[in-house]
Amino acid sequence: MKRFIILILTIAILLTGCWDKREINQLAFVQGLGIERGKDDMIHLIVEILKPGLLTAGGGGTGGTGGGSAAGKPYAVFQASGVDFAKAFANLNDELPRSLFMQYNEIIFLDEKFARSGIYQTLDFMTRNPEFRRTAYILVVTGGSIQELFNLPSSNELERYPYKEVMGLISNQANTASSYVSDLNEFIETLEIPKKAPITGRLVIVKKDGKATGIRLSGSAVFDNDKLIGFLEEQDTKAVATLMNKLKRSTLTLDKGLKGEKAHISLVVTKARTQISPKIKDGDISFDIKVNVEAYLNEQETKYELTEPENLEKLQTMVSKKIKTAIEHALFILQKKYNADVVGFVDILHKRNPALWKEVEKDWDKIYPDVKFNVAVKSVIKRSGLSSKPIHPR
Amino acid sequence: MPHKLPDPQYVKENYQYMTLSKELEENIYIFQVLLKGNNDMVFRQISIGDKKVKAFLVYVDGMVDKLLITRNILEPIMIETRKLNKIIYTNDQLFNYINEYFITTSEVNVKDKIGDIIDDLLSGETILLIDGVEKALIISTKGWEGRNIAESTTESYVRGPKEAFVETLRINTSMLRRRIKHPDFVIENMKIGKYSKTDVSIAYIKSIAEDKVVQEVKKRLKKVQIDGVIDSGYLEEFIEDNPFSPFPQIAHSEKPDRVSAEILEGKVAILVDGSPFVLTVPAIFVQFFQAGEDYYERYFLSSALRVLRIIAMLTALLFPSIYIAETTFHQEMIPTQLAISVAAQREGVPFPALLEALFMEVTFEILREAGIRLPMQVGQAVSIVGGLVIGQAAVQAGLVSPAMVIVVALTGIASFAIPAFNIAITFRLLRFIIMIAAGTLGFFGIIMVVMMILAHMASLESFGVPYLAPMAPSKTQELSDVLIRIPWWAKILRPRTIQRKNIVRQEDTRG
Repeated sequence: MKRFIILILTIAILLTGCWDKREINQLAFVQGLGIERGKDDMIHLIVEILKPGLLTAGGGGTGGTGGGSAAGKPYAVFQASGVDFAKAFANLNDELPRSLFMQYNEIIFLDEKFARSGIYQTLDFMTRNPEFRRTAYILVVTGGSIQELFNLPSSNELERYPYKEVMGLISNQANTASSYVSDLNEFIETLEIPKKAPITGRLVIVKKDGKATGIRLSGSAVFDNDKLIGFLEEQDTKAVATLMNKLKRSTLTLDKGLKGEKAHISLVVTKARTQISPKIKDGDISFDIKVNVEAYLNEQETKYELTEPENLEKLQTMVSKKIKTAIEHALFILQKKYNADVVGFVDILHKRNPALWKEVEKDWDKIYPDVKFNVAVKSVIKRSGLSSKPIHPR
Repeated sequence: MPHKLPDPQYVKENYQYMTLSKELEENIYIFQVLLKGNNDMVFRQISIGDKKVKAFLVYVDGMVDKLLITRNILEPIMIETRKLNKIIYTNDQLFNYINEYFITTSEVNVKDKIGDIIDDLLSGETILLIDGVEKALIISTKGWEGRNIAESTTESYVRGPKEAFVETLRINTSMLRRRIKHPDFVIENMKIGKYSKTDVSIAYIKSIAEDKVVQEVKKRLKKVQIDGVIDSGYLEEFIEDNPFSPFPQIAHSEKPDRVSAEILEGKVAILVDGSPFVLTVPAIFVQFFQAGEDYYERYFLSSALRVLRIIAMLTALLFPSIYIAETTFHQEMIPTQLAISVAAQREGVPFPALLEALFMEVTFEILREAGIRLPMQVGQAVSIVGGLVIGQAAVQAGLVSPAMVIVVALTGIASFAIPAFNIAITFRLLRFIIMIAAGTLGFFGIIMVVMMILAHMASLESFGVPYLAPMAPSKTQELSDVLIRIPWWAKILRPRTIQRKNIVRQEDTRG
């Protein structure tokens, strides 16, 4: 009897298996998911699906068996539309001979028009569905359609398909901080903090004679809640990243020499630590922003000896001043132009002064544009590159 | 002589309980009844002394040292006894005289039970019967051709003693005795097997080995009632705790150095005549991953190698299953580039990953099995054909994907890295079960089966010692000889999982 029960249990276990079994070669690997809002107000989904066979055949290999050396693109672009994201997604599935596999998709491309119309529904669908990676980056595409992006001529690319090209840009961007790309997780977390505005990267399609020829990650897109409201320039993005303590490495160029003459000095910022503390005086809220920057000299047109303490000090003050101006400019744009609290001052207030936060939270939209900031930047130049003395050409 | 000889049928049935008779005729008759028709049996009738007393010599040709018989038995008793010059006597006196003055071999016993005498005769002793004496002289003349002590073929070391046990029990015990020269080192004998009457020895150190374990070993061995014990493997199955477990619960070794090291830890060794493999009990799981060499090579390297073996074990057990689970259920766990390349490789493969894997694994097992037993000359052919089957040809034929070939090859190599062959087979077997679970339930299935295996292992015991000791139940101090091996000078205590009687191995000499 006992054995019989064990047998039944074993069979039961074995038979219940397999229901979600999919062989790896029956999957349609999506790398690159684009969402657009069409003229008919329908949601268009555009996906870039990889063709593993062509991808691994090796760029222009020795032919192989049959098929000719047509060497087509290693991916195909599919499109489907629907009244909402879920419907469009279902329609897309109907068009494909293989089952959609979203787990490898790490970038979600949003069309500018779609982003401006609000992306909440899409985010909701993605967070409910286990197939979507929460670590997928969100990018707003401007200067062209997503179709153009996915069909970028391969002659202008280093990688074998546009998705990889963008992926490379994103990881490279950590070195320059010219854009600020957030992933789905960060975006949603920001959305959940009241009055804090999410930002994410902006991908510009570079066009020549009306044809898309290249792409560039440049600046960032500012959202109010789930709707796109505008863009930040590269310099402002760097400043915002510094304020959010997210700057890892960036370049900085001074356009004046130490004595005020016209010359360029380039530095690499390797560390930036920001401390923000709220100050309340007579009911007025202001924020003290202390930024500590570490940098090293990259290039100078002038021939200053930076081993001289005076010169070094001068340079440091110039760098501090430059950064301070940049931060103030970025804050001005965010306050006056967009009225978007990207840095999350409201959140800092919440943590430091919960009582006050309760009072002002509702009216933050009105208070924020007039909040005062006291920016203090202290920079240290640690190294002057490999050579301590400038080269003196004869 | 009108003495009535017993009925042959009666003799055959009751010889175990009979004793020798005074009549030589009758004794000869009994021996002949019992051993008639064996042409390796030598019956030699002689006359002894000046009185020409009849005597009878019996031995088994091939099992005795004939030179010894001629020089040390026949020569003295046939020639020297003539000079006794009538001072004697009764035949009993003659018997004692021969025993004490004439036979010049090292070991002589006196017995009168026919059963015992026959046993000794068949183990290679020479029997001398004298007319009118109810006793027999059992003269030790064992000497047969055996394999020479040679290098081990199943456990080879780069560094460490090379010699291995042979098929002769006495030589094997001598190899142990040579390594442990202490009066407490005991080698006890018993005979098992109704027909084979195999000599079995139990070796242990009285002052270290747990008495309970020794008693238990004897008890279990005594219960064995088989007709013959040809190899120690027979006994292993009789005395292991859980005969239905795939895991070996008794260790065996071909190396005297290893067995004596285990005896020093308090284990009991069981030596079987005719088998070069010596059993040691109790056995714990981790010891199957410890090569004897670990203790001879410097401890840093040995520790690293042990970690490597654990990795190999996990690979041998789980690697194909993980591949199956990841390609059929959890594709998101594979790095993207790899997934794409696997997908591309599998594009033309007609089978699901599970079947593909089973097919390849079975092929590999067949190859391995074929390779083990083939004569050397044919072996080369196997490796060539095998290379084709598991390799480029199979891939080109579109039967399997290249990734699968790598998985199978790696698994195969990993299972060779486990030092103990018997546990390696266990993992080979369990691998298939896990593969099927992985193919039907994915990682969930793998985890489930692994949990079941672990639960089973935790329930096992070997002669009172938990199989997973010292990990579960955990004894932190003794983990120093599990994943790593601490240097010899730091091993102050013996493993207490094996015994608690005498735990101090050495004085602390290095602080």
